[in-house]
Amino acid sequence: MRQTYGKTLPGMKLSDLTGKLIVVEGTDGAGRTTQINLLKGWLEERGHAVLDTGMTRSPLAGEGIRRAKEGNNLGRVTQSLFYATDFVDRLENEIVPALRAGFVVLTDRYIYSLMARAIVRGMDPAWIRSIYSVALVPDAVIYLRIGVDELIPRVIFSRGFDYWESGMDVFPGQDMYENFRSYQTALLAELERLSVEFHFETVDGAADVKAVFEELQRKILRIMETDSRTEYTSRRLGELEASTQMKAEESWGSRPHRLRSKDLDLLLRSAAAQVPANGNGHHRAETNRSA
Amino acid sequence: MNTAHHLRIGPFEVFEPAQEVGEQPRQNGAQPFPGKLFVVEGIDGSGKSTQLSLLHKWLESRGYGVVFSTWNSSPLVKDTTKLGKKKKMLTPATFSLIHATDFADRIERSILPLLKAGAVVLCDRYIYTAFARDVARGMDSTWVRDLYGFAMKPTVAFYFRVPLETAIGRLVTGRDGFKFYEAGLDLGLSDDPTESFGLFQGRILQEYERMIPEFGLTVIDATLPVEVQQAQVRQIATAHLDRAKELRVRP
Repeated sequence: MRQTYGKTLPGMKLSDLTGKLIVVEGTDGAGRTTQINLLKGWLEERGHAVLDTGMTRSPLAGEGIRRAKEGNNLGRVTQSLFYATDFVDRLENEIVPALRAGFVVLTDRYIYSLMARAIVRGMDPAWIRSIYSVALVPDAVIYLRIGVDELIPRVIFSRGFDYWESGMDVFPGQDMYENFRSYQTALLAELERLSVEFHFETVDGAADVKAVFEELQRKILRIMETDSRTEYTSRRLGELEASTQMKAEESWGSRPHRLRSKDLDLLLRSAAAQVPANGNGHHRAETNRSA
Repeated sequence: MNTAHHLRIGPFEVFEPAQEVGEQPRQNGAQPFPGKLFVVEGIDGSGKSTQLSLLHKWLESRGYGVVFSTWNSSPLVKDTTKLGKKKKMLTPATFSLIHATDFADRIERSILPLLKAGAVVLCDRYIYTAFARDVARGMDSTWVRDLYGFAMKPTVAFYFRVPLETAIGRLVTGRDGFKFYEAGLDLGLSDDPTESFGLFQGRILQEYERMIPEFGLTVIDATLPVEVQQAQVRQIATAHLDRAKELRVRP
C-alpha cells in the first residue's frame, strides 16, 4: 500500500496504486527535462505506459500561475500556495489515476523543489511541510545535482536569466547575475538538506547527457525489478480491459471537463502497458537512445 | 517631544499618535500592528454582509480610514477560482488551496500593509469560513488550520448566529437557485440543489459552533432586529478603536 507524508486527501484511496512514481529533482538547468524526455521514450519502448508531469502544468492553476508571474507582483505566500494548488490538482487528477492504471509516472520536480523555493523565500519550513503532507511518497527521487558554476553557462546559453529563477523577488536591488548566484546557491543548499531528509538518490548532473541517462536507466531498472505490478498483472489485466471503457464513461459523467481525448487514449493504453515488455525491444531502445 | 511623522500609502495619510500603541496584552498570533481588523462570519443568509456594510458607513462617517475586503476577490487568483468552479474542476483539496491562495494575495498585498499603516480593515468572511467549508467538505481540520497559519488574528471576529431554517428562509425568497459549489453539490449529499444546500449549510453551522470557543468568536444573535445587532456591533467595535491610529483620507 502506498503512503503519504502524513495526511490523506478525502476520497483518495491508497490501495492498488500499482504504478511507479519516479521523481526527477534538480534546479533549473540541471538537465531534468532532457533526461525525462529520454526516459519516457526508453520506458515506452520497453512497454510501459508513461505519464510525465511537472510544475505549473495543471489545467486548473497552470495558466493562472503563468499570468500571475508576468506581473512580477506575486507575493511569497501567494506564490507558495498557488504552486500547491497546481500540485494537488495534478496529484489528484493525473498522478493518482495514472498510478492506479499501472503507469510509470515521471515527474519533473515534486514537492521538494516546491518546499525549497518556499523556504528560500522565508516561509516557515513546518508550514510548507504540513501543506505537502498530503503528497504520495514516491518510489524514487532522483536528484540531478549540479553546482552553480556549472549551471550558469547552461542557463546563459539556453534561455538566459529568468526573473523568478534568479530570485529577483527574493534579493531585490542586485543585478540578475548576482541574484541568480545567490538564489540558486540558497536553493541548492536547501535541496541538499532535503536530500538527506527524503532519501534522494543523487546523480552528478554536470556529467554528460549520455552518462547521466545511463545512470538513470540503471536506477530505474532497479526500481522496476521490485515491481509490485507483476503480481497484479494477470488479475488486473482482465479487470482493466473490461472496465476501461466503463471508467471512461463514468469519468465523462461525473467530471466531463477533465477527461480529454489524451486521457482516454492513456486509459485505453493502460491495459496494454501491463503486458510484459519484450526483451529485444528494450535493448534496441537503449542503443537507439544512447546513440 | 513630538515624534509624529507622516506616512502616505496610496490615497491615505497616516498620522502617528503621540502616544505609543500596542500595550494591550498580546495573544498568540495576535496582530501587533496599529490598524484594526474586524471580520464577520456566519452561514449564507445570516445577515453578516448587511451588518458589515452598516459598520463600514458608520466608521467612515466617524473619520476612520476604512478598507473593505471580500472573500474570493484577489485580482491575481480569482480567474483561476472562477475557471475551477465553472468547469467543476475543484476537489475539496483544490477548493481549499485556491481559496487560501486568494486569501494570501489579499493578505500580502492589501490587508497586511493596511494594518501596518493603521487602517481599519473590514473582511466579509475570513479564515473561519475556510475552516467551516473545507472541513464540511472532508478536509482534515488540523491541515486546514495549518494552511492558514500565515493569517493574523482579527481584532474582533463577529459570528452571526442564526438557525438553519431562518437563514434558508431568507435565501430562498431572495434568489432563484444555488450554484454548484455553494450548494455543496460536489459532495453528492443530494441531487436536489435546495436540499443539498440545506445539508451542506447544516454541516457548516456545526463547524462554526465548534469554532466559537476554539477561536473566541464574538457571537451576535442574528435573529434580532438589524438595528439591535448593529448597535451591539458598534459598541464592541468602539471599545477596540479607543487607541487606534487614525488614518484619514486626504481631502
